Amino acid sequence: MSTQSIPPSTRAVRAIEEASIAPAPSPLKVVLRVASTVWSNGKARIGIVILGLFILVAIFAPLLAPYGARQNGFDRSADASAAHWLGTTAAGEDVLSQLIWGSQISIFVGLVAGLLSTVIAVLVGLSWGYVRGFGADVINFIVNLFLVIPGLPLMIVIAAYLSGGGIGMIIVVVVITGWAWGARVLRSQTQSLRSRDFVTAAVFSGERPFRIVFREILPNMTSLIVGNFFGAATAAILAEAGLEYLGLGDTTVVSWGTMLFWAQNSNALLTGQWALLFAPGLCIALLATSLTLINFGVDGISNPRLREGKQR
Amino acid sequence: MTALLEITDLSVDYGEGAGSTHAVNHVSFTLEHGEFVGLVGESGSGKSTLGFAVTGLSKPPARVVGGSILLDGVDIASLSQADLREQRHGGIAMVLQSGMNALNPVRSIRNHFVDIFRAHGHVARGDWASRAAELVGKVELPASVLDRYPGELSGGMRQRVSIALALSLEPKLMVFDEPTTALDVLVQHAVMDTIIELQKKENFTALLISHDLGIVLESAQRVLVMHEGEIVEDAPSRQILEKPSDDYTKMLLSHYADPRAEVVELPGFEDRHRTPAAAHPPTVSSRTRRQDQKAIVVDHVSKVYPAPRRGEPQVTAVDDVSFTLEPGQSLALVGASGSGKSTLAKLITAVEKPSSGSVRFGDLDVGSLRRGQFRRLHRDVQMVFQDPYAALNPLHTVEYTLTRPVVNFTGLKGLDARRRVLELLDTVGLSPVEEFAAKLPHQLSGGQRQRVVIARALASNPQVIIADEPVSMLDVSLRAGVLALLEDLREQWGVSLLYITHDLLSARVVTDNIMVLNGGRVVEHGNTAEVLRNPSDEYTIRLLDAIPNPGRRDVA
Repeated sequence: MSTQSIPPSTRAVRAIEEASIAPAPSPLKVVLRVASTVWSNGKARIGIVILGLFILVAIFAPLLAPYGARQNGFDRSADASAAHWLGTTAAGEDVLSQLIWGSQISIFVGLVAGLLSTVIAVLVGLSWGYVRGFGADVINFIVNLFLVIPGLPLMIVIAAYLSGGGIGMIIVVVVITGWAWGARVLRSQTQSLRSRDFVTAAVFSGERPFRIVFREILPNMTSLIVGNFFGAATAAILAEAGLEYLGLGDTTVVSWGTMLFWAQNSNALLTGQWALLFAPGLCIALLATSLTLINFGVDGISNPRLREGKQR
Repeated sequence: MTALLEITDLSVDYGEGAGSTHAVNHVSFTLEHGEFVGLVGESGSGKSTLGFAVTGLSKPPARVVGGSILLDGVDIASLSQADLREQRHGGIAMVLQSGMNALNPVRSIRNHFVDIFRAHGHVARGDWASRAAELVGKVELPASVLDRYPGELSGGMRQRVSIALALSLEPKLMVFDEPTTALDVLVQHAVMDTIIELQKKENFTALLISHDLGIVLESAQRVLVMHEGEIVEDAPSRQILEKPSDDYTKMLLSHYADPRAEVVELPGFEDRHRTPAAAHPPTVSSRTRRQDQKAIVVDHVSKVYPAPRRGEPQVTAVDDVSFTLEPGQSLALVGASGSGKSTLAKLITAVEKPSSGSVRFGDLDVGSLRRGQFRRLHRDVQMVFQDPYAALNPLHTVEYTLTRPVVNFTGLKGLDARRRVLELLDTVGLSPVEEFAAKLPHQLSGGQRQRVVIARALASNPQVIIADEPVSMLDVSLRAGVLALLEDLREQWGVSLLYITHDLLSARVVTDNIMVLNGGRVVEHGNTAEVLRNPSDEYTIRLLDAIPNPGRRDVA
């Protein structure tokens, strides 16, 4: 998903640019153009539709869910029926209702943890890419430390250490283990941009390093940052499900991960209740897939060569 | 004898519908067997688009919308992609400007040849080695390059390899699209000579596409001049040189002159008969306006870069150079690429630190400045960059770009800063100023962008401007304007100018003094007109000889 923006530099392209001198685009138009670029990609369109559906389900869970998430007292381990479309759990809860309520947690954790680790990746990656000398070496050491330790074991250790913290704890664990990769990618792009003439020119204009990094360099890597966000959100959703499946989260909260945890605990497969494992698993996979699909379209913003359906 | 290539009423558009651009507009011409024809035009004239259409390589959004291209009586447009591939053997070959970068870095040169032999099967397997050696021999390379990798060859050698690759299919027509533009001046000259020799020996038909009328007139028998998608003139070279009929051709020609001539006149520059005594001093008013004019003193400066790879020697980019740039003076630093001229600019602007020696600006020791102290230097020493397309942040408006140095250096704020920005735009001739202030870089032409870059350099009201090849990326017709602007600023503002270039003609018209650098050393210095008219160093003479000169054929 990492793309290097390729400046349109051939004479032919310049000629076209010069031929069509248009009025300055307003910010709204830029947003619309970016949105239409993403939308024009078939894969991204599918991703947006799936993600949109999940978000709608999460928002309207109170209306959509036939029962409460923790509402038990139905027949235990019942098969699918008109009253319970996906059957009930070993504790007598409605699976469909749990699935609908659970989407809130997955999407919330995904977006928040993705956003936080992107923010950290941007702050670390950009300053790391811009500074030289001792400071860069120190950051390099720390980032490498996080990159070299295997992710899941580290998560388990931290989660066990912070045990019982619930969703907040899970977000912290995911962010701590998830920012380093993005920081590395953004640092490389910063290093490539910092040698551009317009950055040198900003130094000549008397700009302070902070302003050069965040006003000159950062806006030129927006698509990379957006791409990083979707990547980080995907990883966060998978990590959250993984941690909860292992029972490291708060098992009393209803999420797709804890559903899997309880399904495994009650040997759902042995009792023939495949929906208990299959439904939350499929939802996690679909949500992660939708974000990855959107990333295909995001790549097209900065690299026109990746735009689909426009060649030949 | 029928013509080899017959183009009738050809039109090529970019895009479709209302937003389309007519890049090539009802163009007709023919190429006879064995002819060497030049196609000249500035960027945006449609010359490359035409070249791609002729070779059947047009790619969307470019579309051939009308007319026909007949090669030996066969219409290229009607051929399928597969037939077109066949056609490449004994048909048309193309050498691109970036052809030297089209070689695969992980495959040896030999592999590149083998790929073509295998795809077309026109050479028996047993003859592959001898045929490849023969081909590289034709472009004056030793057979040993076949076992080298593209990364081990210089730009000129790689461009020769790509010419040899194009030759391997024994084409009847070779299209050269700016074959030497990306090369160094001296190499450019040598590669062009090879192309001319080859064409004579192999007797293929050549179409040379170039923005440089000098190169084309020097090599081609007949010249097509293209302007805004149309061919405005089609005549033998000598006739173009001696009595051009079209105004556009006349304009292009007027920008060529011999820097060795006694009097050099370019549009916008009357010759000023420079002599050391009569060199234009800054006007009195600008002298008095400035309190403390300071000189840049470069004292025995060397810059040594560490070895690129282990076991290789260190690279000495600048070797014991000393000079003084007096207030109000203009000094040209000339040399081929790798002569150390840009490194010297970096040393003066504190972007790099000298390995030995010192650079001083007044009482400021530039070499020992720390990052935080750069403002002290950049208040007075500013830079104009080579590539106006890279020197402006594509996301910032002209106003933002110019406001920043104004705020940082002059302390003006709000309306005052804005007034100053508009004033700067007016100074560099971009009016209406309000309109230009609101534009983004991609809405400006190359020349306009370079004016913005110059305006930014002026924002701090500097004493010294370092211009690193400020016009080399611009079209001929725009160059004179930018150079005249730099010249005016020097005279009116009393700014001293360090003009870095490989273009001796422009050095002649804008500078009083000149320094010729070769391999990091100063090989010659003195008054510009005197040095160029009576060069004493062999390197200077080679540089002078490498300049394409439309009139040279008459001299030879």
